[in-house]
Amino acid sequence: MSGELRLEQRYRRVLRLLPGYYRERWEEDMVAAFLDSWLTGDPYTDECVLEFCKPSWQEVASVILLAARLYLGGVGAPRRYFAWGQAVRSAVLALLMVHAVRGVDGLRLVFMAHGRHPLGIVPAPPAAMVAAPAVAWPTAVWYVAGYSWIVIFAALVLGHYRAARVLAVMAAALDLVWLAQGQLNGALLSPYGSWAFWSLHDLAPVLAMAAFHRDTPPVARWPWLLALPATYFLVAVPELAATATGHQAWVPDLPGLSCILVAILCLAHARKALSSRAGTGVWSLTVVLLAVVAAAYRIASLGDYMQGRYLQDPHLITVGLAELLILVAAVALVAPDAARAQTATAAPPPQPQPG
Amino acid sequence: MTGQAFFVLTALADGPRHGYGIVGEVAELSQGRVRLKIGSLYGVLDRLADAGLIEADREEAHDGRLRRYYRLTRDGRGALAEEAELRAITARLVRARLGRPGPQAAG
Repeated sequence: MSGELRLEQRYRRVLRLLPGYYRERWEEDMVAAFLDSWLTGDPYTDECVLEFCKPSWQEVASVILLAARLYLGGVGAPRRYFAWGQAVRSAVLALLMVHAVRGVDGLRLVFMAHGRHPLGIVPAPPAAMVAAPAVAWPTAVWYVAGYSWIVIFAALVLGHYRAARVLAVMAAALDLVWLAQGQLNGALLSPYGSWAFWSLHDLAPVLAMAAFHRDTPPVARWPWLLALPATYFLVAVPELAATATGHQAWVPDLPGLSCILVAILCLAHARKALSSRAGTGVWSLTVVLLAVVAAAYRIASLGDYMQGRYLQDPHLITVGLAELLILVAAVALVAPDAARAQTATAAPPPQPQPG
Repeated sequence: MTGQAFFVLTALADGPRHGYGIVGEVAELSQGRVRLKIGSLYGVLDRLADAGLIEADREEAHDGRLRRYYRLTRDGRGALAEEAELRAITARLVRARLGRPGPQAAG
């Protein structure tokens, strides 16, 4: 029973999902073990099995999970996969921090709705901005999901990966419920932008949380934990102040703000990136990933200004395109360093950590 | 050490086994509770080999294919003994607590 048979070919096709270095080491062994799990020893039955059977979805899922862990490598992984793993992990944390900042802002709204002003430095906002949140269930769902992202962000930073993953799936599902009911009721102000936000800031990071696994080096806790209040005070508070004082025309929408913030990150990192110092490449790769997310969000949300029911405005399309151009120009400064990161970033040596 | 790694090391404790042999032994040891898929098994074997707890023993031809057998290293045997001891202590503590009346029952 030698030679390539159909079941074997099908399984080898699934194994192509794994990185080359790993296949070189384990593929033949995996194929042998896989076929052993199917074959019975009876020639007629085995002939039928080899001809007609397919790897089960559980087998395929186990290979996909293994591939995700290997491509988004941790300690001991080859340089390229370690760099990708670190960049994806940082990008996930940054995207979750956006959610957490919005969650903190939701808390601020609730405080203000109860007559308290936690941010004394900000002028008192118009009454419409501090109206008590509606008691309708979609709004309640939105608030609950918003607060839970703060917990998810903290859990991930503190290394509670499994808890963070479970909570993130639940929060993304709540956001989806809120979004779907808004879509069905025609209540969404910006449907293109809202769906893009959910896909890029909920679904994508939840899937990419597969990058946090047993081999992941610990997250730098304090920088990330401090980044949350810092981002809130440097971005959300000035935005709130501008809106409260009647200067909202100067405040970009969320996709525009994302483009500008990522462009600022690129510019801040450009000097290091251009000096080609070893070790800076992972951060370059991270900001390139964030730029891809911001650009996709910006492009998708332009649909609201072109075809939206509420927001059609050619002037905003021009502004949006200008934000995209700024982002592309800023990313061009760090992109070469990001490309180098794949060969220049060595993973820390593996610690003996069985299983 | 994860449950899967513990079962894989235990499956190799009484002698070398090939990939599918380990899957079968783990299912038997766990009374069917742990059914390793091949992708999961080789994820665990890769980590255990990198940690120096298992190593290749030999290769044997079977139906035109090579089956590779794995065995515990000395470090692997030590790690397994240590983990088994830790689990036994934990199990004793749990049994003792379960056997003791709780605050509500006592109060």
